[in-house]
Amino acid sequence: MGDGDRYSIETRGLTKRYGKFTAVDGFDLRVEPGEVYGLLGPNGAGKTTTIKMLCGLLRMTNGEARLLGESVPDKKISSRLGYMPQETALYEGLTAHQNIAFYGRVFGLTRTQINDRERQLLEFVDLTRWRDELVQNLSGGMKHRVSLACALIHQPPLLFLDEPTVGVDPELRASFWEYFDELKAGGVTILITTHYMDEASHCDRVGFMRSGRLIAEGTPQEILREAGASSLEDAFLALSREADRR
Amino acid sequence: MKAPRFLAVTRRIFLDLKNDKRTLALIFIAPIFAMFVFGLAFSGEVKDVRVEVVNLDKGAPGPVPGTTVSIPEKVLSNIDDETLDLHDEADLDAAIQRVKDGDAYAAIEFPEGLTAGVMAQMQGQPGAGQAEVKLYLDQSNVNVANAVVQELNQALLETSKEAGIEPPVTVDSIAIYGKGAKFIDFFVPGIMSFVVFMLTTLLTLMSFVGERTSGTLVRMLATPLRERDIVMGYAVTFSIIGIVQSSILLAIGILVFDIIIVGNVLLALLVIALLAVVSQALGILLSSMARRESQVIQFFPFIILPVFLLAGIFWPLEAIPSWLRPFSYLVPPTYSVQACRAVMLKGWGISQIWVDIVALLAFAAVFLSLATASLKVRKG
Ligand SMILES: Nc1ncnc2c1ncn2[C@@H]1O[C@H](COP(=O)(O)OP(=O)(O)OP(=O)(O)O)[C@@H](O)[C@H]1O
Ligand SMILES: [Mg+2]
Repeated sequence: MGDGDRYSIETRGLTKRYGKFTAVDGFDLRVEPGEVYGLLGPNGAGKTTTIKMLCGLLRMTNGEARLLGESVPDKKISSRLGYMPQETALYEGLTAHQNIAFYGRVFGLTRTQINDRERQLLEFVDLTRWRDELVQNLSGGMKHRVSLACALIHQPPLLFLDEPTVGVDPELRASFWEYFDELKAGGVTILITTHYMDEASHCDRVGFMRSGRLIAEGTPQEILREAGASSLEDAFLALSREADRR
Repeated sequence: MKAPRFLAVTRRIFLDLKNDKRTLALIFIAPIFAMFVFGLAFSGEVKDVRVEVVNLDKGAPGPVPGTTVSIPEKVLSNIDDETLDLHDEADLDAAIQRVKDGDAYAAIEFPEGLTAGVMAQMQGQPGAGQAEVKLYLDQSNVNVANAVVQELNQALLETSKEAGIEPPVTVDSIAIYGKGAKFIDFFVPGIMSFVVFMLTTLLTLMSFVGERTSGTLVRMLATPLRERDIVMGYAVTFSIIGIVQSSILLAIGILVFDIIIVGNVLLALLVIALLAVVSQALGILLSSMARRESQVIQFFPFIILPVFLLAGIFWPLEAIPSWLRPFSYLVPPTYSVQACRAVMLKGWGISQIWVDIVALLAFAAVFLSLATASLKVRKG
């Protein structure tokens, strides 16, 4: 593949097959450093599968991928990745703090680093008051916020966020996006999946996935123009219908 | 210096346990409970067995004129009244009926003219037959029946000795190991392995099924943690817990049951730690077969029964049918039970139990690799 450092994420022909079923089908993706890329698409489109392959959690059936200039899968890169899974994936029997600190230690942070970062993150996800509450006693949206904090504790330059805003109230979602903009300003690359179109319009570029394939890609404005629609929502419905026809 | 990453996993499991009071109680109270239940119930001593005594013998004039000798009375006085609870009964049929009704386990009949017959025999009078004491016995309870027979034989032997009749040959047993050992001394090394194996396997199994279903396992694998770090983190946690559990068992054994320990306790604990490593790896392996946490319960019999039956915890390997015995060597606790017994009761050192240690190390190596591999397979 070309000059490795040009893109934070670069895939070519990324494919995942489960038996005869193809979940991701020859996916080519390029995301530049400091870009917020929104991966959209209906349930079962292959968004989670794509992210899992990139994070080394699923073996790719075909194709190749580079992250931050390194060919993956490669364990070396994992300390520079932040991954927030779609499911909450927290230790319910631990407190919010204990969960966050666990990931801090896993990434080899010192106690002071963990404490400093955690204080900031809890403030950002508005959970300072709930720091020492067991996760099992938190609401669904709160759990998602803890999960996001866990993914950010080691300040990774590349973030994979799989539906980070599910179940999060509108006010907080808005502040999430402010924070993502802040991260982006600091040079962090973010690949984010979402079903909220208002969030999609926040992205620098969006890709629309369907049946494992990328059927449209561009800035939100480009997508609107191409589909001749007034909202992203309408644009994707139009794109889907067109794809069905073919 | 940076702590190895797997210690983060170890620490996390300990925190989880600290927050989870019920599991914590299981870890520390279960060994105590098991020790008392098994220690007391299996102490192996039969006590207070009700026995009817029908004495039809009237005695005979003794060597000193004017005295009467009664062999039954002498025999009865030699019976340990803690073991047998003796009740006099004049009528033989009534006594046998008691046994039939289940009110007594045995009836002893001293026939008429017993003493006279024995005296005649001792004096070498012609025509004197063999003296016989009859025992009507409920043999359906083997342990109790054996205890009654043994007690009666013992009492007869002692009575003959008192009368100056020595048996021509006697056995003098000299303890090479385990002088004065009771069942509990044999049992404690076994229960240590049993408790540690069982709890470690089940706890790892449960927490690992949790890791799989909640997605935390996948999440960990997206960090710099490798499969082997995770297995390692669990192994360290559970060997520490295993050592603590065994120490509790040993403390109760020493303080409450006054067990004999002639060897190096630390060596025994090392063996137990090894067993814990093997057990947790087994737990991780099994976890790949469970889809939900509730399915874990189905694994219980398959984990506990083979070890219960085959590992020589409650009875020696020699008591296991010979065709089954090869399977004993396939369950890891067999080796730790054997090694701990040798260390604690015989005072053996590493140079004598190395075979068991090598066996456990081999199990550990195989199970750890399989557990690590089972985590990799999931990538599909
Ligand atoms: N282990 C598996 N075996 C077989 N098929 C699978 C497996 N995992 C995922 N799939 C299939 O792959 C397809 C893509 O799933 P994926 O989770 O990537 O979708 P998604 O785009 O993230 O959807 P959602 O918006 O619902 O999160 C789905 O049709 C799913 O059924
Ligand atoms: Mg998904």
